[in-house]
Order: sequence, then structure tokens, then C-alpha cells
Amino acid sequence: MLVYIHIPYCDSKCHYCSFNSYVDKFDTRSEYMKALCTQLSFELERFNTKEKQIKTLFIGGGTPSTVAAKLYKPIFELLKPYLQDDAEITTEANPNSATKKWLEGMKDLGVNRVSFGVQSFDRNKLKALGRAHSPHQAKDAIIYAKKIGFEHLSLDLIYNYQGDTKKLLFKDIEEAFNLPIDHISAYELTIENGTKFSSTPKVRQENEDLAFFVANEIRKRGFSHYEISNFGIYQSKHNKGYWKLENYIGAGAGAVGFLDDTRYYPQTNIEAYIHDPLKITKEHLSPDDLLTEKVFLGLRSTIGIQKSLLSDKMKKKAQILCKENKLNCDDIRYFNDNFFLSDELALYILD
Amino acid sequence: MAKTVPQENIRNFSIIAHIDHGKSTLADRIIQECGAVSDRQMSAQVMDTMDIEKERGITIKAQSVRLDYIKDGEHYILNLIDTPGHVDFSYEVSRSLASSDGALLIVDAAQGVEAQTIANVYIAIENDLELLPVVNKIDLPAADPDRVLTELEEAIGIDATEHNLVSAKTGIGVKELIDSIIERVPAPKGDANAPLKALIYDSWFDNYLGALALVRVFDGSIKKGQMAKVMGTKDEHQVLNLMYPNPIAPVKTDEIRTGEIGIVVMGLKTVDSLQVGDTITDAKNPTAEPIGGFEPAKPFVFAGIYPIETDKFEDLRDALNKLKLNDSSLSFEPESSMALGSGFRTGFLGMLHMEVVKERLEREFNLELIATAPTVVYRVKQTNGEEIEIQNPSELPEPQKIDTIYEPYVKATILTPQEYVGNLIKLLNDRRGIQIKMDYLNETRVLMEYDIPMNEIVMDFYDKLKSITKGYASFDYEPIGFRPGKLVKLDIRVAGEVVDSLSIIVPEEKARTRGLAFVAQLKELIPRQLFEVAIQASIGNNVIARSNVKSMGKNVTAKCYGGDITRKRKLLEKQKAGKKRMKSIGKVEVPQEAFMAVLKLES
Ligand SMILES: Nc1nc2c(ncn2[C@@H]2O[C@H](COP(=O)(O)OP(=O)(O)O)[C@@H](O)[C@H]2O)c(=O)[nH]1
Ligand SMILES: C[S@@+](CC[C@H](N)C(=O)[O-])C[C@H]1O[C@@H](n2cnc3c(N)ncnc32)[C@H](O)[C@@H]1O
Ligand code: SF4
Ligand SMILES: [Mg+2]
Repeated sequence: MLVYIHIPYCDSKCHYCSFNSYVDKFDTRSEYMKALCTQLSFELERFNTKEKQIKTLFIGGGTPSTVAAKLYKPIFELLKPYLQDDAEITTEANPNSATKKWLEGMKDLGVNRVSFGVQSFDRNKLKALGRAHSPHQAKDAIIYAKKIGFEHLSLDLIYNYQGDTKKLLFKDIEEAFNLPIDHISAYELTIENGTKFSSTPKVRQENEDLAFFVANEIRKRGFSHYEISNFGIYQSKHNKGYWKLENYIGAGAGAVGFLDDTRYYPQTNIEAYIHDPLKITKEHLSPDDLLTEKVFLGLRSTIGIQKSLLSDKMKKKAQILCKENKLNCDDIRYFNDNFFLSDELALYILD
Repeated sequence: MAKTVPQENIRNFSIIAHIDHGKSTLADRIIQECGAVSDRQMSAQVMDTMDIEKERGITIKAQSVRLDYIKDGEHYILNLIDTPGHVDFSYEVSRSLASSDGALLIVDAAQGVEAQTIANVYIAIENDLELLPVVNKIDLPAADPDRVLTELEEAIGIDATEHNLVSAKTGIGVKELIDSIIERVPAPKGDANAPLKALIYDSWFDNYLGALALVRVFDGSIKKGQMAKVMGTKDEHQVLNLMYPNPIAPVKTDEIRTGEIGIVVMGLKTVDSLQVGDTITDAKNPTAEPIGGFEPAKPFVFAGIYPIETDKFEDLRDALNKLKLNDSSLSFEPESSMALGSGFRTGFLGMLHMEVVKERLEREFNLELIATAPTVVYRVKQTNGEEIEIQNPSELPEPQKIDTIYEPYVKATILTPQEYVGNLIKLLNDRRGIQIKMDYLNETRVLMEYDIPMNEIVMDFYDKLKSITKGYASFDYEPIGFRPGKLVKLDIRVAGEVVDSLSIIVPEEKARTRGLAFVAQLKELIPRQLFEVAIQASIGNNVIARSNVKSMGKNVTAKCYGGDITRKRKLLEKQKAGKKRMKSIGKVEVPQEAFMAVLKLES
């Protein structure tokens, strides 16, 4: 079982980002953290959670580093009995707010993995994306995190922003590999409704070559490509849990939880959430929905698709793909080498 | 109950005009001048047509109307006979004109003579009608009636000394026009004592009354209750009701007399039994000969019509049957295509008719349709002596079995400002046109007549003509029979397979360029997919053009979405819905536009 905790605060809103976060509601922080505990207690019960059953905990956002480490303490105390001894405990962090004090505080609470939102090491690109930090801040934060003993460090990059060239991305990747990380998430820019970029969708460039270039350059340096956007010598257990459709608690305004065949959506508005953290919308997933998800998630990653899940008709189509070298298979699974084609393959198989 | 007037006080006339020259407006003005409706009702009529139709249970054809008019104490009946304006319906035009004794020839005072003016005049002259030249829109600042009258004389060679100048908008000259109608349109001839002879010049379907015929009585009279015979079908039916057409609501009558027009109700289920051009007579005492010139409506253009969702085939059949109730010229037969599944090979009177039908099917019956490229009918003489007609290019026999292919020609009439003549000649030559006539009507306007294969105008001709003349040229055509042509079938192969619904028949000398253009066009339209797609154009087994759509490299959203997997699933489902609208040919998904791509080929 996995746990996700959402921190809906940011210092500023990046131009591409549609994640649920607010820049002007910091005064609700301590109330919010209490509401999180309320929801978590409820969810632990709803999920019928046993001791030492939680494999991974992921604190994401928004920007977790906008909330002082000590405010997380009650949450960790609440979760402690349920966390496995070697649980993967990740927090996202933004370079400008991941101060030494904050990093130390989180380390003391038991966090063992930090994922930094770096996006790029190019000053101009950072500015254009609306990021609140400099390339230096990112490097310093990561180096300090390593120094104080975090086991696993990751950083996020964004590519196919307009004007991205092989040269620029090559430099970003070089810089990343100069840092003590064991994981990179490289995301292709997506234009989302309601963001600043949605009024200038041209800022996303269509460039297939660059996507392949980024993936190759990262792989070349020894990180294995285990999902469309994820690479590492260490592979995040939390992410893989999502892609295998394991159950996850989702706590916080804008979080999503999943249990068997139902997805859970707490309220996204902070005040509403604080007022009633247990008001949660349910979405029932049909067997078809679940199959669709298993197929595309499996094709986006090294997870693959269990053959026995597919209908005869789907197997026939998968077989055609195997024959045309678009898909691999062994006795029990189909798996895909070219994650960049995964949606098309999924559509072909699911038809 | 309507008053009867002596035969010599009846005037039956039509209005013919190029589109937008003011036919409808003038008809309204004449109706008003006759006092058939008040000013208030006039607008009410336009607004409330639907309600009136529902109340009275009858579809009112606003422009075929019987009007009472008193002149110098004499009571006249003016029957204004509506004609469809478009060339696709030229047979119906000719039947309407055959029911009239005179025609108002309306020309826009600023625009002058246009192609439809000429085409309609020819039909009027064939029907021996008295033509009354009417220059309309004289209120416009750009009006130049003298120039227009000269054009009429030069272009069509009619005598325009006696003419009327009117503004249908302001009403100027309308009263004088009515006087001219009474003076110059001859009273109907015809023998009141002879057996009934009535021409069906329009028919339509009414939900309450069934199929209705609008007739002109040439001899005798038609009486309520009598048994009548439709001569073409030889069917006999009782006359249940008779009505005079009126702008507000039909007026019941017991008899329609010699020279009159009226609506005949016989309680029939479809208009098939009341085809335009057929003759109605007395079943007990029939007339010897039907009125000449009856031809069942004959489609000139054919296309395959297929539902996008393959399970909508029966719905499409129902919809076509319903349209047919009201449109006897519509013909359709089931056909199936490897690429498109089950659909109908549908015959149309022309391109406009095809568009109208497709649009009505989609709009009134909520169907999503693919229409294949329209084709004309070819007559093929085979080496074994047998002659066949083909309506679908894929039916063309193997080349070695063909002796001669005959293709339909039309006479194209084009009116254009002089500066575009060069462009037009180039276009018409390119379309295998043969120049018959080129007359300068005055220094600026030119009349061109060409014999041209219909094959060359069913696809993208009209748009092309409009674009090279900045919209100033007008165009009309009329079928003139079949002539031999050097034609071949061009097949399109996608991933090696011939796609039956993409085959076209083209002149041999254009096959290569067409093939190249077609392949290039398809390459643009077929999206990249998992597998590389080979597109070829071939004649028989001979490939004359080829291209490839490269296989797709990437289709994925590579963005972080954490646990919100539903969001990602919904995006995928959206893509899936998009693909459902494509047709699969083997492994290849082909978008609908590809089936109409040939329409946009540059030749
Ligand atoms: N200025 C002016 N406009 C007119 C006159 N007659 C008709 N129109 C306008 O010309 C357009 C086409 O008229 P309409 O009667 O629909 O033409 P139809 O297509 O021949 O039936 C409409 O916008 C009319 O208002 C006229 O005498 N003067
Ligand atoms: C949950 S988000 C934010 C984490 C953290 N607040 C930060 O900005 O570093 C995680 C990552 O998703 C990526 N991301 C967010 N919106 C994106 C978009 N519209 N297109 C591509 N990547 C996006 C960014 O790389 C971001 O670091
Ligand atoms: S990318 Fe991170 S910092 Fe920027 S707005 Fe989104 S959540 Fe906040
Ligand atoms: Mg009109």
C-alpha cells in the first residue's frame, strides 16, 4: 500500500502548471496540516491498514518545502506504526525553499528520498517557465541534501519548450549528471487548461527527435529508462506502485486515492478541505476502465501487460504488433521497448 | 369557395431569373398588389409558415398562387407558377414553364444577364412562352436598365422593346407590370368540352393529406369525387379533394376548370405515383394522348453514401425512404464497399441536389455520413457487343473487355466580365471543353458556350470557376447526350489493397497527373500510424504514382500526473473516439476526408 500527501502551496505559479496549488493562502498552513491528519486517520481505517503495511510515502504538491518540517511531525507520528522499516519516503522540494534547515528537518522525520523540481539549468528557460529559482540554488540544494545523507535524490527536467535545442538539453543533462542523483524525471511540456501557457500554446514545440534525444542521452549515462518520463539507477517504488494499480491513500486538497476499483477525490479548495477533509468524491471504475489503465500504464513502462488480462481479440492485435516488431512478448507478458509509442499501441490493442 | 371566371380572363405565368435577381421579392409584391394578403399578413406569412402548415395540415408553396385581380371592372385570375431556380432541377423548371402561357424574365438592373437567365430563357423558348422582360432593382444607384436591355437582346436575341422597369423592393412599376401581364400573356387555350387532360408540374408529400399533385388543366375539368387516371403509371384513384393554391391557405373547390391550376388530393402514400411531368385524365373517358415530354426524373450524378457508424445502415435506409416520399428524383440502391461497409449508391439530379440531400439526411435524421466522390453515368460498349451503364467507377470492366466508353456531355453557358476570359479559356481547355460560342455582349461582358464532359464539372469545377473570376462569372449547364471518350479507371491502393470507393474514371491523358496529385493529397490526409503505409495509384496492375506515410514515432503524453490516472485514461479515450471516426482498410486507418479528397485535386 502507498500513501500520497498533497501540499497545495507554492511561492509562485509556474506558467505551465495546473497542479492544485495556491500562492496566497499560506496562513491556512497549520489548519491544513491538521486536516490532513484527520483525513489520514480516516483513510487508514477505510483502507483497513495493517501495521508495517505502507511501502511508500510520497509528499508532493504544490510545494512541500513551503511548509516547515516541524508541521509534518504529527503526520509522521500518525503513520509511523504503519510504515515498513525500509519504506521509501519521498518529498518533492523546490530549490528556492528547500533550505538547509528544511532538508535537515525532513531528514530527521525519516524522509529518505528528495525529488527536486529543477526543470532546467538554463537561466533564461527557468525565467520563461516562471520558475522562482536560479540554476545555482538548484545545484546547492541537491549537493547539501546529499551531504546530510539522503539516500536517494532525483531531479525533474522539462523538455520541448519552444526554442529547446539539442545543445540546451545536452547541457541540462550534463549538469544533472554532475550532481549526486540516482534518478531523473524528464517530462515533455504539456499545455494545460487554466495555465498561463494555455493562451500561448505555441510555447510547446512538437519535436519528436528531441524527445528521443533526451531519453538517449540519459540512458547513455547509465540510468535505465523504466517509464516514459523516468530514469534511474534507483527506480521509485511509489511511482511503480501507481503504474501497477496498487492501492494508494490520497490525502489533501487535490490528492487522489485508489482502492480496488474506486478512485477517491477529496475537495480541492483549501478552505473547503480544512472545513471537511472527509468530504470525498468517489469514482467507480468498470472492469473495462481498469483494463484500459493496465494496458496503457503497462506499455508506458517496463511493467508490460499480463497476457491473461487481454481478450482474444486484443491478443490477436497484440500478436500482430509482435510480428511487426512493435511489441515484445514472453510467455506471460507483452512489453514495449518504445515508450514514446505507448498511447498508439494501447489504442491499437484496445480498439 | 373561390369565384369562377371565364377562361379568357385567366393568366398563367412563371417568373424566371438568375439567383438573387429578385424573383421571390417580386412575387411577394405582386401578391400584395393583388390584395390577396394585407401588409401585416405578408410578414406574418413569412414568420408563421410552419404554424399554418401544422394548422391546415398542408404544405404551402408560397410562390405557386392563384390571385384575383380586378382591372377596369373585369375580374381576372392570375396564376403565378413557381419554378425551382437551379439547373439541377431543370426538368422541373421545364414542366413549370410548360404549365404557363407566359414568363416574366427578371434581370437585375445592376448585374445584368447571368448564366441562369440564359438557361431558363432557352427552356421558356422551347415551351413557346410569351416572354416579358422585366428589369428589377431600378432603385439601386448602380442600376443601368439600358445596358441590361441591350444585353438581353444581344445575349439571347429577344426583342426587349416592350419591357417593364420595376423595383420589387419599393414597389415602383409593379402595378404597371400586372397590367402588362394581363395585356401580353395569352389566355389559356384548351377545350373545356374535351376529356380531362392535366399536367402534374409539382408534387409533394403532406403528412396529413398524403401525396399532392399541383396540376395545370389543359382540357376539360377535374371534379371532386371523380375517378382519375395517372397515365404514366396507369393507376386509377378517386379525387378526394381539390384546392386552389393561395398565399394564406389553400381554398377548397369542387372543380378545376380548363386553363386553371390547382391541387389534387387522392390520398396516395408517396409522390412516386404522382411524378412531375405525368398526365392526369378522366378514368372513364380518358384523353387520347398524354401531354408530351414526360420523362421520369433521371439522375445524372451518383455517389456512394455511407453511415460513419456502420450500425446505422438501416437508419440511413429509413431516412432515404422518407426523403423519397417527397422527391421522386432520388434513387438509391444498397451497395457495399470493402472500405466503407454497407451504404447506398445514390443518384442525384446534379451537384446541388446531392449536397441538399446529404445535408438533409445529416440534419433532419441525425446521421453522420461519408459521401464518396460523385461520378457521372458512363455507357460502356463491351467487346462482346453488350452495352452496360455504370454508376460506380469500380464497376468498370477490365480494359480488354472494353470496346468504347461513352461519357455524358453538357452544354455549359458562362457569363463573365471580359478580363477573365483568358483564365476561363485555360480552365475550359484543361477540362476538355469544346468552344461553341464566344460573344461579346458589350465591351465588358462575354457569353461563352462550351460542350464539356460532365465528368470534368462534377468535381471542383464550380469553385475553380468562381475563384479564377473572383466570383464574377456565372455558370449553368444542360445535358446534351453521350460521346465517346478515352477514359481509364484509376485505382488507389492503400497498403497494397485497392480501395474500391476511391476509384475514379479519368481521361487517359490525365491519368498520370491525377494519380500523382491524388497520392500526394492522400499522403497529407492519412495520419502517421504504427505501420508505414504505402499509397499507390494504378491503372490495372500498372502503378503510376506512389508515396509512403512514414510510421509514427511518438504518441504519448509524457507528463507527470501522479495518482490521477483517470485523467490520463480520459485523454486516451478521447483519442480513441477520434479513431472511431476513421475507416480501417486492413491495418490502416483512413480518415473520412480521404474519401472526398479527390474533389480537391488540381487537374
Ligand atoms: N435594392 C433592391 N433590392 C432588391 C430588389 N428586389 C430584390 N432585392 C433584394 O435582392 C436579394 C435577392 O432577392 P430574392 O427575391 O430573394 O431573389 P431570388 O433569389 O431571385 O428569389 C434580396 O436581398 C432582396 O431584398 C429591388 O428591387 N431593389
Ligand atoms: C507535482 S509537479 C511540482 C513539483 C514541485 N512543486 C516543483 O515544481 O518542483 C512535479 C513535476 O511535474 C512537472 N510538470 C508539471 N506540470 C507540467 C507540465 N504542464 N508539463 C510538463 N511537466 C510538468 C514538473 O517537472 C514538475 O517538477
Ligand atoms: S511546478 Fe511546482 S512550484 Fe511550479 S506551480 Fe507547479 S507545483 Fe508549484
Ligand atoms: Mg428566392
